[in-house]
Amino acid sequence: MDSLKIADKVFKSRLLVGTGKFADCRIMAEALEACGTEIVTVALRRVDIENKDDDMLSAIDREKYLLLPNTSGARTADEAVRLSRLARAATGINWVKLEVTPDPNYLLPDPIETLKAAEILVKDGFVVLPYINADPILAKKLEDAGTATVMPLASPIGSNQGLKTRAALEIIIEQANVPVVVDAGLGLPSHAADAMEMGADAVLVNTAIATADDPVKMAEAFKLAVQAGRMAYNSRPAAAGKKAIASSPLTGFLTDM
Amino acid sequence: MNVLKINDTEKKFESDLPATLDRLLEQLNVNAETVVAEVDGRIIERSEFDKTKLHSGQTIELIRFVPGG
Repeated sequence: MDSLKIADKVFKSRLLVGTGKFADCRIMAEALEACGTEIVTVALRRVDIENKDDDMLSAIDREKYLLLPNTSGARTADEAVRLSRLARAATGINWVKLEVTPDPNYLLPDPIETLKAAEILVKDGFVVLPYINADPILAKKLEDAGTATVMPLASPIGSNQGLKTRAALEIIIEQANVPVVVDAGLGLPSHAADAMEMGADAVLVNTAIATADDPVKMAEAFKLAVQAGRMAYNSRPAAAGKKAIASSPLTGFLTDM
Repeated sequence: MNVLKINDTEKKFESDLPATLDRLLEQLNVNAETVVAEVDGRIIERSEFDKTKLHSGQTIELIRFVPGG
């Protein structure tokens, strides 16, 4: 498969994976391995100093995966900027998945605060991957502000509803000069393949893998779907039409003899 | 008595405070390799943990990566 370039890094895999909601760290590590991902998202939270088993991410091989800290929990630009700087202090890397989600029911991203935070973070030297609603104008403004990608949602986080924002995603993909990563709401490998066939540069999946009965097998299914979708996109699909067009020859029927 | 406010909880120390941030983490049994710290709102780089002196009344935030999407 052709490679994916985000900022100055090149990746073979076009599947980004979130580490939330896995039953335990062994299953998480196996699922990450099975899906071939190279970028995994993590969150930042206060240490539970009473709980000695609080350190679940020690299972992630930092040589193998680029840790992409998110700013989940941030409700304003200021909170997102603070979390980003803490994450940079913790990892030494300056990549951040920017998410500002003040709405607790649908976890929809705040476009104004996200743009504000992106402008501050880009100036501060961050590689910013912003999670946004599927808004083509916002995507353009973020790109102009210098973000490394745009990450429009397919449907609300964790909802597994698939590509509800299809029409807007198509416009974003058509207009973008940075990689478009379809994030959130992809519930099945077919949703991921669909997004890749549309021309998305990558997808980010978490809930659909982590909460499947067999997360490791589902991780592999998503890997194959993303590869198939990309391959189909690169093959430039044939046009769809309303009427039937026969695939078999229309001459030499037995009835003609 | 010496007091530190750690992650919004007041922690009292009968005797002296741990001298530095890395000593505090040691006392709390927290692996310094996986933690990022803020002291009075200022981010402390990990390489500075052993040089960061603690004083009674300070507010300390200890944060680490957790699973997330």
